[in-house]
Amino acid sequence: MPGIDECLLEAMRLPGARGAALVDWTSGLALGTVGDAPGGDHETTAAEAAELARLAAEHGAFAAGDAEDGGPPVEDVIVSNHDSYHLLRFVDTSFDSSVFLHLWLGREEGNLALARIRLGEMAARLVLG
Amino acid sequence: MTMIETPPPLPVRDRATAQDRTAGALSPMLRRLAEDQATGVLVREHGTLHLAEGRVVHAESPHAPGLDVLLTAHGTLATAAWQRAAGQAEGPADAARLLLDARLLPEGALELCHLDALYDAGYFALSPSSTPGRFRYARAPRLGPLPSVPVIALERETLRRRLLLHRLWPDPATDSAPLIRADPAATAPVTPRQRAVLDRVDGVRSAPEIARNLGRQAFHTLVDVRRLAAAGLLGPVPTAPAPPPVPPAPPLTVTDPDIALLKRLRDALEAL
Repeated sequence: MPGIDECLLEAMRLPGARGAALVDWTSGLALGTVGDAPGGDHETTAAEAAELARLAAEHGAFAAGDAEDGGPPVEDVIVSNHDSYHLLRFVDTSFDSSVFLHLWLGREEGNLALARIRLGEMAARLVLG
Repeated sequence: MTMIETPPPLPVRDRATAQDRTAGALSPMLRRLAEDQATGVLVREHGTLHLAEGRVVHAESPHAPGLDVLLTAHGTLATAAWQRAAGQAEGPADAARLLLDARLLPEGALELCHLDALYDAGYFALSPSSTPGRFRYARAPRLGPLPSVPVIALERETLRRRLLLHRLWPDPATDSAPLIRADPAATAPVTPRQRAVLDRVDGVRSAPEIARNLGRQAFHTLVDVRRLAAAGLLGPVPTAPAPPPVPPAPPLTVTDPDIALLKRLRDALEAL
């Protein structure tokens, strides 16, 4: 059963992974970080990614129809730019929380589809064992 | 002609200098304990920090739900299982180790809840206090299986959280007072998490009590409460003679010394 650090290190083994973090989207706090962050600052990256995640999670336009079951209404958020992808994966916990995994992926070496599937599996294993 | 001597002004606590002194460190005592790599328990007015070798391993506050509440409120862990572990253990770190050994909880879930509870209670423990803190040294350092946090990281996060709340809605009255619903001028959209908070606003419960009821971090609840206050959907229960039914005045007078402090904190943070 992996802890937070093991989970992030596993994410870093994905091809093209540059950095990863576990972030609380209500407070913007990075609960764990590994690798690099854009601009070299995990704290700022976490706060900015949290703002994006919060908008996606809380605004009705992005939520699936039945958001009332308690699970996160959105699975992930993908941002692409000219040289990298940012993949934000919401973690569905049995306790009350608001966290997501943030993976920064190089566009040349990275495989977005694979990373999306793997990050979802990691998010589930993190809290379900 | 009679000379009327004006009496000297009563001695008052100089808030400006007091705040300047703590601008760098939220608790100078805590900063010193961290430098000395101290092990023990720091008891402050609004919460308690447990240190091992100068790092924060556990925090408690009457304003924040503990690890036990977060874990049991939604059935992540059976209340009986927690009580059994807590009964056998010397402290929360020991209880956590027992739960992990018994494979009652996944490590990631426990670490996550632990860090949530630590930063949440730490936020209140480091809030401005009117009495000095007390530190009790403990004999053996106990770095448990759960992650610990450097003092400086907890201080920085606490300052960031104060600033976040201030930016959402600068009036801190809703943080601790009993809350009551208000009629907004315009209907604002309410998120599902805010709806859960708003449903529990009954004129009696305060934000920390609502957090406990929801099994949710108190700071998360403060964020939603400030957003709801900014939207005009709730406010603190008015004290003493009920004021005339005017909506909470939008033109904010920035004379509160706390706001001056927050501005200085923001400037200091931005300068880092």
